[in-house]
Amino acid sequence: MKPEITPAALALVALLVVLFAVDLVRHGKSRRLLAVQGVVFATGAVLIVYPEIATRLAHAVGIGRGVDFVIYPLVIWLVRESLLTRRRRRDDEARFTELVRAVAIERVRPIERQRGAHSSADVAS
Amino acid sequence: MPAYNEERRVARTLAELAAFSGAEHAITVFLVDDGSVPAVDEEALARAKGALDVILARHGVNLGQGAALETARRLALAEDERRAPRCFDAYVTMDSDGQHRPEDVVAIAQAVREGADVALGDRFGGGSDVPRSRALLLRLARAFERLTTGLSLRDAHNGLRGFSRVALEQMHIRQNRMAHASELTRRISRARLRFVEVPVAVRYTDASLAKGQRASGAVAILVDLLQGFLFEERS
Repeated sequence: MKPEITPAALALVALLVVLFAVDLVRHGKSRRLLAVQGVVFATGAVLIVYPEIATRLAHAVGIGRGVDFVIYPLVIWLVRESLLTRRRRRDDEARFTELVRAVAIERVRPIERQRGAHSSADVAS
Repeated sequence: MPAYNEERRVARTLAELAAFSGAEHAITVFLVDDGSVPAVDEEALARAKGALDVILARHGVNLGQGAALETARRLALAEDERRAPRCFDAYVTMDSDGQHRPEDVVAIAQAVREGADVALGDRFGGGSDVPRSRALLLRLARAFERLTTGLSLRDAHNGLRGFSRVALEQMHIRQNRMAHASELTRRISRARLRFVEVPVAVRYTDASLAKGQRASGAVAILVDLLQGFLFEERS
């Protein structure tokens, strides 16, 4: 198996390296997350440089192109993730609403009629 | 009465309503300031309130009209300061920007007193001057609601609505923003409540039109409704 080093492959691998470097600098303390990210990115880079790996895997399970082998599960995962995120946001919003409402109800108070100077003159002005 | 950044219009609306409050109609206003910046001017309210009882609650942040209406509903159904249940013949929601006339508020309350569970304001029966773009949008909303809720209302998105206590207990609003109107229609339809539509006038002013719903708002409502439909657990 020989590597395919095309301009597109170089650009994509460079992107992975830059992104990983940025995250390393920004979130250097979350070691475990970075480790997972490193493994995922490295796998991606290998698949980019050796497209034949994906192609062989794809053929093995009856998918035409190697790219599709990667993209199909990715799309399914993303759609599910997006629905779950929306749902979570909605649940969070509902909880947040109840919190704000509870504070509002806790602090509810009647407006007292103003005493003194303008007590009667201002009625239904 | 929900209020969000209505500035002096809230006090003006209260003052108008105060003229109708007295021995004949004792009116308590549950005013929910939905995180206005600056907050509603309590001194102005105190000057304007006249014989009205005004109970003020304030959301620390802006949540939306549906959320404000729900807070007001909870306040009305909760016990009062003396821990006694509040007694009322009718519960009426209205906008705080002065688009509803106090005489219409009284008419809505009267319809509930006369036995309706729900009385809804209908601006198309009241000879109010509805701008054409607004009328078209409302007609579309009506067709949509007939499809989704099974209830055909002449004016589904009028903020002037009256409920009996029994009806109010069933009007739990989960839609924080403008989709609450459809949610209410659905609840009224499901609960098989007796409802009447009462002709009312709506006073369109520059301020109310500027703040009112646009066509883009309709898309946001659809998204909210779809999410509600997808994610709501049955209640």
